[in-house]
Amino acid sequence: MAELQDTTWKMLLNDFENGLEKAIEELQKRDVENIPGAKEALIQRLNNMRLHFPQNNGDIFLKSINEKIQNAFFPNTKNFSEAFEKILKSRTHEQDFIINELLNGFVTSKAKAIASGTQGPIIDRMVEAFSKRNDFHIVDHQFFAMFGDPNKPRHYIKKQLEELVSMFGLISKELLIEKDIRRSEEKLYTFYTFPDDIIKILEEKYLIIDDDLGYAYVSEEFDRNVFICMFLANVAIHRDDLDKIGDSFTINGISAIFALILLLSFMPKLSIDETNPLLNDPTFNTENMSVIPKSWMIKQVLEPLFEPLIKITAYRVGGGLWLSKIVDSEINKKIHNQIRFLLKDVNKWILGNLCRVEIPIFVEISNIFTEILVGYEEE
Amino acid sequence: MSYKKKSTRTIKPGRKREKWTDIFPRYLTFITHMRPILRETRRIIIDLDPDLLLDTEILDKIRQEEEKRNIRKVRALSEFSAMYRSNVYEIIKDFIIKYREKIPIIDIKDYIIEFLHESVDTLNVLRHITNPDELNLENTYLYQLVKYIEQKIFPRGANLKIIYEKLLENSPNFYECQRHILQSHTYYREKLESPDFFEIPVMSPKVYQIINNMTSLYNLDPNFGEFPEKENYEIPMILKNDVFLPYIESIANAEEEAIEKVAERIGLRLIDGIFLAPQEDFVEILLDNNYLREIKQSDGTMRLLPQFSNETLIIYYLAFASQRRGFLSKELVNWISMNFAFLIYMGILKWKLSDENIFYAIFKDLQTNEKILPYLMKLICFPNYIGIDKMKIRDSIQYRKEIFNFIGSQIDNLKEFIDDIATFCTKFENNE
Repeated sequence: MAELQDTTWKMLLNDFENGLEKAIEELQKRDVENIPGAKEALIQRLNNMRLHFPQNNGDIFLKSINEKIQNAFFPNTKNFSEAFEKILKSRTHEQDFIINELLNGFVTSKAKAIASGTQGPIIDRMVEAFSKRNDFHIVDHQFFAMFGDPNKPRHYIKKQLEELVSMFGLISKELLIEKDIRRSEEKLYTFYTFPDDIIKILEEKYLIIDDDLGYAYVSEEFDRNVFICMFLANVAIHRDDLDKIGDSFTINGISAIFALILLLSFMPKLSIDETNPLLNDPTFNTENMSVIPKSWMIKQVLEPLFEPLIKITAYRVGGGLWLSKIVDSEINKKIHNQIRFLLKDVNKWILGNLCRVEIPIFVEISNIFTEILVGYEEE
Repeated sequence: MSYKKKSTRTIKPGRKREKWTDIFPRYLTFITHMRPILRETRRIIIDLDPDLLLDTEILDKIRQEEEKRNIRKVRALSEFSAMYRSNVYEIIKDFIIKYREKIPIIDIKDYIIEFLHESVDTLNVLRHITNPDELNLENTYLYQLVKYIEQKIFPRGANLKIIYEKLLENSPNFYECQRHILQSHTYYREKLESPDFFEIPVMSPKVYQIINNMTSLYNLDPNFGEFPEKENYEIPMILKNDVFLPYIESIANAEEEAIEKVAERIGLRLIDGIFLAPQEDFVEILLDNNYLREIKQSDGTMRLLPQFSNETLIIYYLAFASQRRGFLSKELVNWISMNFAFLIYMGILKWKLSDENIFYAIFKDLQTNEKILPYLMKLICFPNYIGIDKMKIRDSIQYRKEIFNFIGSQIDNLKEFIDDIATFCTKFENNE
């Protein structure tokens, strides 16, 4: 088995190496950069990657994915609360920014299939629903009022609610009322809340439990990222049980998102001329932004890089099972094309220059690469 | 033969109340009922021996007595007053129970009086936000606040260029708010192409994504073609197909079909049915703001190289909407006026109430919001303020709930803007 795994891993590294070669070839043909030396810097970086990534059994990938991405987003545990706690603890304001942008795009596109007509704010609405009550529960009819389409039968929304609940890992409690106040009939209410272990973790910062009054309400800190952490924790612990995490859709989506994070982290910082108008633009912040080459975004360069990188991410996070679910169809290639523009606020355009906001995950992964590179050079 | 009296109305119900003198009293209705309740409560607490506060049953009895004095005839008002009073007393009781072991009761009493005092003060500002005759208009809070917010996120100007420049000037601080007021959560009620040719709809998440894709494609891989209005000049063009290529299973069919309208709203046009290029007027704006750079080609033609920022096209959409504010869709009118009303309301709360005020929750409660904000929205729409079509504001309670539900899902930039408005209120008060 170990031998088999090794062969797969080697094959993936080999594919990535070939992808890099193709990308370099494509890059030589064109120049879309407007900063002198940007194209050369990118080619040099890709060449370095081609030389050093396969070394030591793909050491850079092992460290970047296993240590950084896995620890921060998919902890290696089967315990939901432990996974949740680890993800929650890796939160920083800047980190939230990117997770938000990437995963919200993904979660909402999944949620779109679940709660029709709500592309954008589904998580915001969940936050809002929990914030409005003082018992930290939401009740089914509240959900129907928020997401229900009066023109569609109720059973649709019931099914959708169940899917949302399982996507976030919420738990349900039933309450049977013998005589409903309106119709004097028996009525069953279903309440949804967070599992007890999670509530204990949230209690520190996000949830205020008032024992004197018997209230439990959310603090200012409680936001959509709490749900995103739940979603990630749920994926982390059920990574072997594909039915519970949305099967190939989730796996392809998540692997592509983290492949994009990897790729962005590996991009070299460019030095810009002091007369460049970018430096005077009020939206450019020299302290936390750096200019990176933009050529990697060209379709012809991205395609050979992205596909093997998605497979590498899938294999490291979910093993052979996830890898088998990565479909390199024409349709997926189109979706990858869309993903390259998914980041807007942390990978932003300023006066035609691509600027990366240096948030911790980019810096950490980039540091691994630099450290290893320096190590090799010293050897 | 029917004896039923024939209605003499010829207009739709609800469409009649459109004058300032009709809407302003409606805005005041609930505020004038909240204020006395808080004042009475404050007087009662002041007169009450602090030790009596320890027994919460006494507060219950006082509330019951107060409710007996209710003489309001209108059911909705008496119900609201009862609900409001009971909320106020419940909050006071909770506060006492929570802190009676930790803080001396005399201090608790002082806190409650102080919180009530702040709340009465807040309602006082809300009550005198403007006046029935709009006298001395420029010195009213409503006018000043609307103009302050307007100049930052929805400015007026003699032409689109001026509006664009004003928006750009404020975008380093308020870009997220600027883009937020175009993105109503009720976008799914709208069509991209309306039978009314001029109507401007909200920017749906998909259109937003498409605009971002266009920005990236311009910066990455533009083609260049003849500038139709200027000889020897080349403008950047991108292929329409490249924009829509990643959208599988017809998910962006509606946007692709309405591309000409979508393009017009972001300063672009369709050339030869396949290329998207900037319109003549927009080229000038782009050049002035360094979003296009002139490069002389070896054959003597001048090529305009795009170097867009994230906000380049989005701000055009907003400037376009601001210039044609009389033609905004129903959703956009409701969303923009709701955001203005919300910013004004929250700005005043932030200014007058301390963060720890226990009555903050009542002010932010949906039940209170829906009594104040809809009328504030209508007042804001009048020509002296933002000047958009108030007849498009929906009166349906269900709809209000739908849009007000998003009030809580604030973006950080909106919170910063609220703080900024609170600071402005303090300055305005001091100047007065």
